[in-house]
Amino acid sequence: MNPADVAQSVLPLTSSDLSLFTLFWHAHWIVKTVMIGLLVCSVWVWAIAIDKTVLFTRTKRGMDRFEQAFWSGQSLDELYRTLSAKPNHSMAAIFVAAMREWKRSFEGQQRSFAGLQMRIEKVMEVSIAREVERLERRLLVLATVGSAGPFIGLFGTVWGIMTSFQSIAASKNTSLAVVAPGIAEALFATAIGLVAAIPATIFYNKFAGEVNKQAQRLEGFADEFAAILSRQIDERG
Amino acid sequence: MEMKTASVISTSLHAAVLLWAVVSFTGKTFEVTPAESLPVDLVSEKDFSEMIKGAKEAPKAEMPKPLVEKKDEPKPAETPAPKLTEKKEIKATAEKTPEPEPLPKPDPIAEKLKKPDEKKQEAKTEPQPLPPKRPERKQPKFDADKIAVLLDKRDPQRNAATGAELNSTLSLGAPSGKASRLSQSETDALRRRLMALWNPPVGAQDADSAQITIHIRFKRDGTLEIGPQVLTSGSGARFNAMRDSAVRAVLVGQPYTMLRPEHYDDRDGAFGWKELEFTFDTKDMFHDIPLR
Repeated sequence: MNPADVAQSVLPLTSSDLSLFTLFWHAHWIVKTVMIGLLVCSVWVWAIAIDKTVLFTRTKRGMDRFEQAFWSGQSLDELYRTLSAKPNHSMAAIFVAAMREWKRSFEGQQRSFAGLQMRIEKVMEVSIAREVERLERRLLVLATVGSAGPFIGLFGTVWGIMTSFQSIAASKNTSLAVVAPGIAEALFATAIGLVAAIPATIFYNKFAGEVNKQAQRLEGFADEFAAILSRQIDERG
Repeated sequence: MEMKTASVISTSLHAAVLLWAVVSFTGKTFEVTPAESLPVDLVSEKDFSEMIKGAKEAPKAEMPKPLVEKKDEPKPAETPAPKLTEKKEIKATAEKTPEPEPLPKPDPIAEKLKKPDEKKQEAKTEPQPLPPKRPERKQPKFDADKIAVLLDKRDPQRNAATGAELNSTLSLGAPSGKASRLSQSETDALRRRLMALWNPPVGAQDADSAQITIHIRFKRDGTLEIGPQVLTSGSGARFNAMRDSAVRAVLVGQPYTMLRPEHYDDRDGAFGWKELEFTFDTKDMFHDIPLR
């Protein structure tokens, strides 16, 4: 018999068109759940990616602007006054925290220089930690989706292929026309898994590197500022 | 919050991509060209070597050329068309036709005067010229052989049957087959039948290659002329059981209708089957039946 005829006669039993929607609609409910979950993961990953990209560019620009102001020879007291009025991030936050501690030490009745150096360093450390935490928030989601996404998709595929083989056994027909729609359906789950996981992995690596770079920059500034304040303490003391 | 706008952007992006995918992702059907089935003969090594040895000097066997429907010569179908008058009748008219001629061409007055006479005359002459005047159409005679032609609704100008050309399509072949004849020969059919009927005794497959060669003499109608003669010699219960099973197979299989009577005496051709030697081999039985 003509293979084309066989295909023609068998196809209407399964699904005549293999559009994206029918692929989804014919799938088992577990496979559907997997697909929807992966789609949501993908949406979330991209949302995080957009958010982080904006955040990192803003942080970088803010640090550049602050460093320019800091090294412009402007009085630190004046800078502190302008910056403390509004909420700050990154370098400005560290500067403000250190300056507040410094001011507090001089404002009181009794001047306590003894532990001032250590206190300032501690305060700056805490604000660096807070800043880094803000930068790398939700990055773990990217890592998780990147590593688990393919496996979740694979689970959907295995399940779909299992059910499609069961239906093959039920229909007692092994022609490709019977097998193909089920397998295409099942592989669709893996495809979505990969679609979600590949950007997640790339974004995670990129943002992890970015967080490292910015944290280093913050620490460098903190050390420098600590050195300046230390010289001031020694001069006054 | 920043995250909210990012989520909105991401969601709309995904929706757009999905929409595009739904529109563009359609499974195109592969164009399947039906593959031509090739006739394949399995020839064992032994058969192959024997074939080469024997065939070198042999005269070429003339294959009967398949006939074809002749083309380009429209031939109207035979119909019992009414034949024209036969000679006899024409002669009869020739004799009688002169009769009306001598009728005089009278002037109207004389005619009127004569009228009563003429009428009599006409009455006299009338019976004579009438019967021969019209050469009568002969009623088509009922012919049982031609009923088929009458009932035939096909175009009378269709191609006539049987020409001398080679036919491009064989009656039993595939519509687009290329082989000039079918691969299965009569010996092949005989072998298949015998092997199907042969029921060797249990344990025969243990023997390496137990062979029983049997000489068979056929009659023209495909039955056996004399009982099958066993050519292989041997002894022992196992051999006897084998031999009997082979003889039984040969006896049960008759008449061998697959052997065509026109090749019965064909000495030099490939199919002469008046006398045949057939070898029952356990190897063939328990492995694959070789086609020769």
